[in-house]
Amino acid sequence: MAELLVDISGLSKAFGSRTVVRDVSMRLGAGDLLGLVGANGGGKTTTLRMLAGLVKPDTGSGTVLGAAIRSGRSGRIDQRQIGYMSQKLALYAELTVLENLRFHARVHGLRSDVIGDALARYGLEAVASQRFGVLSGGWARRVQFATSVLHAPLLLLLDEPTAGLDVVTRLALWDWMAQFASAGSAVVVSTHDLAEAERLPQIMLYRDGRASAQTTPGQLIGAAGSPTLEAAVLGQAQP
Amino acid sequence: MSRLRRIAAVAAVESTRLMRTRIALTLLLLVPLLQIVLFGTAIRPDAAVTVAIAAPSKRDAETVASELGQQHNLAVVAKGAPGTAEAMVRRGGAVIGVEVPEARSFANPLAKGGPLRIVVDASNASLASAATARIEAAYWRALAERGDASGPGLKVERLYNPESRADWSFLPGLVGVTVMIAMIMLGTLSLAREREGGTWEALLILPVGRGEVLLGKLLPYVAIGTVQGLAVMMVGFWLFELPVRGNAAALAALLPLFAAAHLALGYAIAARARTQLAALQGAVAFYLPAMLLSGFLYPFATLPGWAQTIGNLFPLTHFNRAATGVMLRGEGWPLVLEQALPIAAFTLLAAAVAALFQARTLD
Repeated sequence: MAELLVDISGLSKAFGSRTVVRDVSMRLGAGDLLGLVGANGGGKTTTLRMLAGLVKPDTGSGTVLGAAIRSGRSGRIDQRQIGYMSQKLALYAELTVLENLRFHARVHGLRSDVIGDALARYGLEAVASQRFGVLSGGWARRVQFATSVLHAPLLLLLDEPTAGLDVVTRLALWDWMAQFASAGSAVVVSTHDLAEAERLPQIMLYRDGRASAQTTPGQLIGAAGSPTLEAAVLGQAQP
Repeated sequence: MSRLRRIAAVAAVESTRLMRTRIALTLLLLVPLLQIVLFGTAIRPDAAVTVAIAAPSKRDAETVASELGQQHNLAVVAKGAPGTAEAMVRRGGAVIGVEVPEARSFANPLAKGGPLRIVVDASNASLASAATARIEAAYWRALAERGDASGPGLKVERLYNPESRADWSFLPGLVGVTVMIAMIMLGTLSLAREREGGTWEALLILPVGRGEVLLGKLLPYVAIGTVQGLAVMMVGFWLFELPVRGNAAALAALLPLFAAAHLALGYAIAARARTQLAALQGAVAFYLPAMLLSGFLYPFATLPGWAQTIGNLFPLTHFNRAATGVMLRGEGWPLVLEQALPIAAFTLLAAAVAALFQARTLD
């Protein structure tokens, strides 16, 4: 791990009296692809939001892209280097696919030819002139992914990007994420699909806000003596 | 029976949702309360109309003032030499000016001379008409008491609105009211919709500053507000023969600033409110008192002092003055710039509050 893009330890976050993330630590360098795996409500989204600077941690500290992350006043993360895809279909429904991409290109100060490249790379030419609001879930996710990575971010944060998608789109998205990691970005992706998580090089298992240490699916499966990650996780979940 | 049960179920859910939107609920109670208090204490349509008296001698002026002072709802605010009453009306210091000609007064109505001149600022027709009628009645009664029912007449000069058209009185203010309501609503919804739709989260992660987001989101609406205000002016001009006697360009130049003031305010309200419903309630809580205390619905001069102080905080009050001045009184840049200053101060304050409340995080 040559250069650490994410180096955090002991991050916790509570909303009111409910603690949603407890004592999460993580170290990521260029080329890492990490899956945050666990059931809904386990704290994955809040972790991603803390990494993106959208939510301030209550305790813990560290750095994200060199900016200090801690409770109270954090440093300003360089948003030009972060790609973030939220769980909601958070693009402008009234704008076409092309217009949404153009907006993101303009705020990032990118040349207009990146839009054409993105349309071709993610197979979006056919829907380029359609309004985002009328797209099916699969197409909408592709567009959302394209806008998140348009500026080739160093750190890519994806919140349940494959939830509810058909198998073709799911595989395409995993493939694109892997390509990004291979190209030198650090990618953090949350999922509750254990079969998909099994194919990731690194995972952190979330349960009730607590996260396991970074590990590989193989190590988890081996330690549990189970045939699959799903069986290993279910075994751990037994009271 | 099952239908009733279903309706009851929907009603229960709706009530619960409303009860849990605390700001909306508070405002739903606050807005009517505010209206009642304002209507009950500030709005007094029968409040005294200001009168200035000009007469050749101090004694004549005192006599006329004494006569008029006994009249209901007339308040003599100045007494001076011939010509000063009309000048005061033209300056906006009084609604009615009574010019007593040389050797003629209520005290000596049989003397020879020209008619008594009553100069009226008719830009607010309803306010001026009733008061003018009372002065005319007082004059004729004074003549009758002195045994000269056929004495010299009086001449009423209605400035700015010679036909006392009621529509001319409120149309200039309507330009401001239309733009104000539309801009508060648009400013409010532009942010509230983003937050509820989820695009706000995506916007926060982009390399765009708070001030840049504020300006970028509001600029298109400033253009819309300006066009909207001009359209209302044009409709007034074509359909209701509303004159624009002064500098129309000066008034048009005030429209973008006026629109920006309410957009920034709407944005500030939405930045604090959690839901669209709460934000809209906040908007209503602002624009109702603005309409009541700006001089649009009721003449500003009839409001009590405390209500005028509050009224002067609203941009609508200043726009109303500028619009009435330009359209009916033939005023131009000096008046518009004078009224633009408080609107600009309001805009800066609202924008600062909006930028401050516009959270950089989702905490």
